[in-house]
Amino acid sequence: MEVKYIHDFKIETAAFKLLGEYSQKFGEVTKPPIPVEEIVDSHLKLDYGFDDLPSSLEIPDVLGATWVQLKKIRIDQSLDPTVYPAKIGRYRFTVAHELGHWQLHKSQILENSNSLFETEQKPAIVCRKISAKKPIEKQADIFAGFLLMPKQMVQNKWKEIVGSLEPYVAVDEISDLSARWGLAEDNQPTVQIAKQLAKIFNVSGQAMQIRLINLGLILTKQPERGLF
Amino acid sequence: MPGKREFGNKIRKLRDAKKAIDPKFSLRQFALAVGISATYLSRIENGDFDPPAPETIKKIAALLGTDADELLALAGKTDPALQKIIMEKPKMMADFLRKASGISEKDLKKIIKDLPDKKD
Repeated sequence: MEVKYIHDFKIETAAFKLLGEYSQKFGEVTKPPIPVEEIVDSHLKLDYGFDDLPSSLEIPDVLGATWVQLKKIRIDQSLDPTVYPAKIGRYRFTVAHELGHWQLHKSQILENSNSLFETEQKPAIVCRKISAKKPIEKQADIFAGFLLMPKQMVQNKWKEIVGSLEPYVAVDEISDLSARWGLAEDNQPTVQIAKQLAKIFNVSGQAMQIRLINLGLILTKQPERGLF
Repeated sequence: MPGKREFGNKIRKLRDAKKAIDPKFSLRQFALAVGISATYLSRIENGDFDPPAPETIKKIAALLGTDADELLALAGKTDPALQKIIMEKPKMMADFLRKASGISEKDLKKIIKDLPDKKD
């Protein structure tokens, strides 16, 4: 499905609004990790659970699905953190991603598809494990990053650890890690500070690093002279 | 007729009512408290899987604050403790139950109330 372009700033506002609504009902969320499951359960009251999605939908590599009419979210059992504790970060990102679809795309889908007819086997949104993502999937990913790692919280934690909002030039550490593990140029290793913050926000190191780069707290290129 | 769908619906309903106000009853935390995986609990609730073992059902009932025997009946199972009681005095207990099943509910309640408590 083709979705309207949404500016990152608007996506951030939508994530912030969702967290605000939850806070109003259940008390301020002052520190990480962000309670994504509670947002699904207590605030949105969606039908939420796990399933063997590739079998039940007959589509390979499905990680999550959202039914907009049936008000239902299912996460694939391959991400169940009670079975695979190491997947907790990926799992929480997937829940936040499906929440992104719910917040950003639900009304668009309901308006545009007069003929939309959901069944158990046919959700409106199916999210697969693929690298080339459609705009609708990219928007949900961006939303998930904003929801799980709100700017102010990330900056506060960064200040606690680093002492200031001084960015970290990660060029050397990344090239060291790449040399050690023999990673390709485009496959970025996770630096120490991102791993440390990832534990606090209960997300994957990779998601945390992307967020820190976007916030300008990690620099992956040498800053030009005279910039600071 | 008990079945997996009724059992699943029942525990989903009970858990839903509680999870809205207490995160202890979220799928993940509740599954951990019962000692099963979140996927297994979720698929029992969906009716994809048959109800779990009687001991697990008793644990679910205790955590949800609901009657274990009713939940077991919904799953088409009986409490293993009851089977043990029958096995210990098979003839007498079976006669007792057969006779009791013909009595009206009101009278049965009264009889149960009048019976002396079990001495250990």
